[in-house]
Amino acid sequence: MAKSLHELRERLLRAGVAPRHVRRYLNELSDHLADLKAEEECAGRNPADAESAALIRLGKMDELATAMTERREFQSWCARAPWAMFGLVPFLLLAIAWCVALLILWSGWQIFLANTDTPFVPVDGFAVFYFGAGRLLYFIAPILVGWGIGLIAARQRLKAVWPILGFLFVALMGGAARVQASRTALSSGLGHIRMDLALGPSVQGSLFHALVIFSLAVLPYIIWRFQKAHFVSA
Amino acid sequence: MYNESSMAARDTNPNFMNGVPELLILRLLQQEEMYGYEIVQAIRDRTDAVIAVGEGVVYPVLHGLERDGALKSRRKTVNGRSRIYYSVTRAGSRRLSDLSEDWANLTGAIQKMLTGGQRGQVIA
Repeated sequence: MAKSLHELRERLLRAGVAPRHVRRYLNELSDHLADLKAEEECAGRNPADAESAALIRLGKMDELATAMTERREFQSWCARAPWAMFGLVPFLLLAIAWCVALLILWSGWQIFLANTDTPFVPVDGFAVFYFGAGRLLYFIAPILVGWGIGLIAARQRLKAVWPILGFLFVALMGGAARVQASRTALSSGLGHIRMDLALGPSVQGSLFHALVIFSLAVLPYIIWRFQKAHFVSA
Repeated sequence: MYNESSMAARDTNPNFMNGVPELLILRLLQQEEMYGYEIVQAIRDRTDAVIAVGEGVVYPVLHGLERDGALKSRRKTVNGRSRIYYSVTRAGSRRLSDLSEDWANLTGAIQKMLTGGQRGQVIA
């Protein structure tokens, strides 16, 4: 792909055009450029002149970029509604993951610990893996969602503000989440699991947990930005 | 960015994007399916190069028409190269009729202005 098309890709992504539209546009431009170059070479130009002529015929960078950026239908959701992509969507994803984790906890409690008042007791055998899967999902979900935020932000060349807000939001949710279980809370004796979002009773503990999640979630994004900055300055 | 020193950049029609490309593209594709390069060459040939445009800007128009349901595309390999061919849908045919009618009205009105209200008498 010509260097100018790389520049165009960066420009379109930074302007908020969705990556799938950018990819398709550049693929077709690349094919078109190859056709133009072949035509110019057939007309007797040497390869270097043919490429220059082909690039001029393809269009100026501003023309090519504006043709895409002026169409709102090609904008990504991150550009149209960043509050949804970095607030609402992470919230929903976390809610789904935690619901699954709590379902695993509750079902494991009914299956393996039918006589205990709480599922938070030492277990053995297959129950270790069963409860372990739920616990892993519960703790890793905020980090995975954070990595998703970083991936989207990197793919779409977003400024750091919205992703950072997203990381903070996810970290605070992860740090504030509390799970409580009680068999006596319901008269049926089936057991009751409840999830709260609160920084207490140990605010320091919650903030430390949030800090750990934030650090792990933001790390790949920081590395990507560092590499990008290093690549640009090199 | 581009090496323009060895050859002059072509003049383009900046207002080309105002509904005209849709009309031309739909008209061309109503006759046969084409890929982007073919479309641009056909526009250039059939308008005697009067309509000049950065050739790459045809793709956002094609993608927009496809998104609106006026065009459909399929990937086809010809001479070892994979191309995306576009063709008109029923909705595209209806849109072409509407655009053609609008364009005929517009050109009629402009012609009327130029002839001072009488056809065939262009104001110099």
